[in-house]
Amino acid sequence: MGVLGAGAIAGCATLALGGLLAAWPGRLGVGVIVQAAGMLVLGVVGIAVLTGDQALGAPFRSSIGPAFGLDQLSGFFVAVLGVTAVPTLLFARDYLPGSAGERGVGALTAGFLLSLVGVLAARDVTTFLAFWELMTLLPAAAILVAKRDASVRGAVYAYLAITHLGGAGVWIALLVLQHHGAIGDPSALAAAGTGAQTLVAIAALIGFGTKAGFIPLHSWLPRAHPVAPAHLSALMSGMMIKVAIYGLIRVEFEWLGATPRWLGIALLLIGLVSAVGGVLWALVQHDLKRLLAYHSIENVGIIALGLGASLLFADAGAYQWAAIAFAAALLHVANHAIFKTLLFLGAGAFERAVGSLDLDHLGGLLRRMPWTGGAFLVGSMAIAGLPPLNGFASEWLTLQSLLHAAFYRPVAVALVAGAALAGLAATAALALLCFVKVVGLALFGAPRRSQCAHANDPALGMRAGMALLAALCVLLGLVPGLILPTLARLAPGGAGAGLSRQPGLLVPGTGAYPALAIAIALAVLTAGLMRLRGSRRAAPAPAWACGQALVPELGWTSAAFTKPLRLVLEGVLRPHRVLEVVRSGGMVQKITYSGHVPSLVDTLLYEPTIRAGLRAAAVARRLQTGNVRTYAAYLLGLVLVGLVCARTGIFG
Amino acid sequence: MSALAAILQLLGVALAPLLPGSIQALKARLQGRRGPSPWQPYRMLRRLWGKSAVDPEGTGVVYRLAPPLVAACLLAALVIVPIAGHAGNFGLGHDALVLVGLLALARFALAAAAWDTGSGFALMGAARDLMIAVFGEALLVLALLVAALPAHSTDLRAMSAAASGGAIWSGPAHWCGAIAFALVILVETGRQPIDNPDTHLELTMIHEGPLLEYAGRDLAFIQWAAAARHWVLLLLGAELFLPHGSAFGAGIGLLVLGVVGLCAALAVIETAEAKMRILRVPALLGFGCVIALAGAGLWVGGVGA
Repeated sequence: MGVLGAGAIAGCATLALGGLLAAWPGRLGVGVIVQAAGMLVLGVVGIAVLTGDQALGAPFRSSIGPAFGLDQLSGFFVAVLGVTAVPTLLFARDYLPGSAGERGVGALTAGFLLSLVGVLAARDVTTFLAFWELMTLLPAAAILVAKRDASVRGAVYAYLAITHLGGAGVWIALLVLQHHGAIGDPSALAAAGTGAQTLVAIAALIGFGTKAGFIPLHSWLPRAHPVAPAHLSALMSGMMIKVAIYGLIRVEFEWLGATPRWLGIALLLIGLVSAVGGVLWALVQHDLKRLLAYHSIENVGIIALGLGASLLFADAGAYQWAAIAFAAALLHVANHAIFKTLLFLGAGAFERAVGSLDLDHLGGLLRRMPWTGGAFLVGSMAIAGLPPLNGFASEWLTLQSLLHAAFYRPVAVALVAGAALAGLAATAALALLCFVKVVGLALFGAPRRSQCAHANDPALGMRAGMALLAALCVLLGLVPGLILPTLARLAPGGAGAGLSRQPGLLVPGTGAYPALAIAIALAVLTAGLMRLRGSRRAAPAPAWACGQALVPELGWTSAAFTKPLRLVLEGVLRPHRVLEVVRSGGMVQKITYSGHVPSLVDTLLYEPTIRAGLRAAAVARRLQTGNVRTYAAYLLGLVLVGLVCARTGIFG
Repeated sequence: MSALAAILQLLGVALAPLLPGSIQALKARLQGRRGPSPWQPYRMLRRLWGKSAVDPEGTGVVYRLAPPLVAACLLAALVIVPIAGHAGNFGLGHDALVLVGLLALARFALAAAAWDTGSGFALMGAARDLMIAVFGEALLVLALLVAALPAHSTDLRAMSAAASGGAIWSGPAHWCGAIAFALVILVETGRQPIDNPDTHLELTMIHEGPLLEYAGRDLAFIQWAAAARHWVLLLLGAELFLPHGSAFGAGIGLLVLGVVGLCAALAVIETAEAKMRILRVPALLGFGCVIALAGAGLWVGGVGA
């Protein structure tokens, strides 16, 4: 089984050992570092499998007995998991001690990571489903260990309820595949006919889509992710939803046999709605972690756009672009995992330092916390899709994929691709608006609260974790072309994508995005212009506010900055506003204003569903009288109905 | 040829301020005023270069870094945009969507600087600018899609070459793209009816807002960048959506004609059209998006081609 197999087992064992150590009194820090070592080994194994030619362990099989293995696609996701989990655990090393339920959370973190690896390495349906459920349950347990108030319990309940209801789709899809012997064998389901294919495709879309956070199945995500401890939020938003994307790719791209065209269009539409909707509701959030959670929905939407474009290219026979679009989606998986982990860790550091995550209570933190603030700024620019960082590289590739997908007939497909292209461009601009607001409120300007004026950078481990991730954002942004051919190879039939391995993205049919050259040009030009500007004889002056002093009450808030957009999109966002004016004797004494933007999906979809469910339960409750005679009557009735059915031959 | 094209591209650094200058001069004539000469922006840049900067209290590195970064983005954009379909090899590629990213980076830098000052006027302008950019960017990529369809590429040189000649105007698709790109020019250069470059009134200003605190060489960089935006957009408009030939020499002649024509058109629009309500702008841009999408659909469907 070779070095890699031994390495994988050793990595898992180290991870488990780290979990046990973390649970031991007084060994929390050591335990978390041991976990990090385990994840480092697993990440290296993942990279080796990804870049190598050999799969590790067992291949996929349609039998019940447990089997483990890693092929290149699994290797990619394990590598991304390793790359994001190691800095996260370094962060947790200094973040966890002193927090509520520290040992329990530390041990459950290892369990959660093991379950993620387990899903990625499972090679049969029972193992996959077992780890899939663990992956859902363990973070819920960790959240409840760390925080116990009623609102958190409510959020965890919503998380478990929605992911389990939607997750039934995963069970249906995988068990149907198992039934037809189609796990790891694309020809088997094709032989079973289009009925089974359609069933599996839709069930997997709903099942994995719920866990990935596609709108309208996303409602659990902005509830559950913000309440978790920072490092768990990072892992949930960074990796857990990506594992759902992994499952989606396995079923829809590999085991379905022939992928129908409607699936590509469906993915484009789902991606469009998720991307635009996710960023729109992110924009109107005040709580930083909730805002980041909504951005995860946006980014899985962007990934879905890449995947949908890939299916449409394959349908049109453009296999090179099918591979490029697929690689764009995978690159965005890696990029989003990195910058979203970074942003959640940064939010955790801010919360520790300031005691609040309300955007209107932060401010001026770049000066007080240069490490955290600097890393957070890099992550924000990356997620806003700005060159030359990594977010732009994958968004550029996805934009190119959608643009090229609009070249092909039928016209309806071209129009959907064009709409998705415009939607993605708008999404990028909305993300820019959102993160200008976030960095402006949190990092720049004057502190809005006294706690911000006295905030300090956190301990070394937390700083190192964030700095590592920020460096990765820059690195992947500068040389995305080095891994693009490796990712394109993972696409079904993508071996012949014919991409050369260069630092920049020199994709045929485009004008090329030489990221490194652009970064150097921007740096050199900016430095040159600063030199040209010479030493500044700047006169300090107060900012102009029509002659008034710029007092904190005049400062702009999160709501003020997004006001133009809220006004324009009033019909979609439907904001609630309450304005109370207290007058006495004709004089205005006090004005209070409060406003919020409800989640449209919650009010239009979930609340009616919940109300109908409760009403049905109330009706059903009438059957439960608690009277023994009533139950005896029910039994008698049941027997009678059974006899009648048997007599009339319904049972056959 | 590519050396000559490279020289012409770099000449844009010096020539760019002439575009807003001549628009203002022509506009004044159309309005019956004598107005400033087309060289006025150069005089202003010279004057600003000799003045000292102002650092509002509490601002930091973001505020100081923004003007050079904005100018650097536009400099990079200048060498990405080809001249009459030809370009020197600066190693930055010639991709249309990279251009979109560079313009977004410039927008980010100015908006971040606005937050650093904390000034209400700056933030008001930045918020409006970013709101309009949401719709403007969607429109921009759709217009680029229409221009990319004949070339099957987003390489600006290939797009320019594929749009040359008269045959492309026989179908409706390219006309749709031209209408959409006309709106793009209005948005991205910040001219009436979407923004008014002459005003500093808080009720109406968009692009002028974030510059209010700047002075001296900082302001000179930003003003030059605004002129370079005109250069980039008008050049693209003339190369992609106005009739032109594929030969380099004649192409340059037609390009100059095209850019002059676009400047004149902007001056006429500014004279004839009042500024519209900011909240109405998205509807106008959405209308442009529909037209561009229809153009793409018509091209793919092969209508009239």
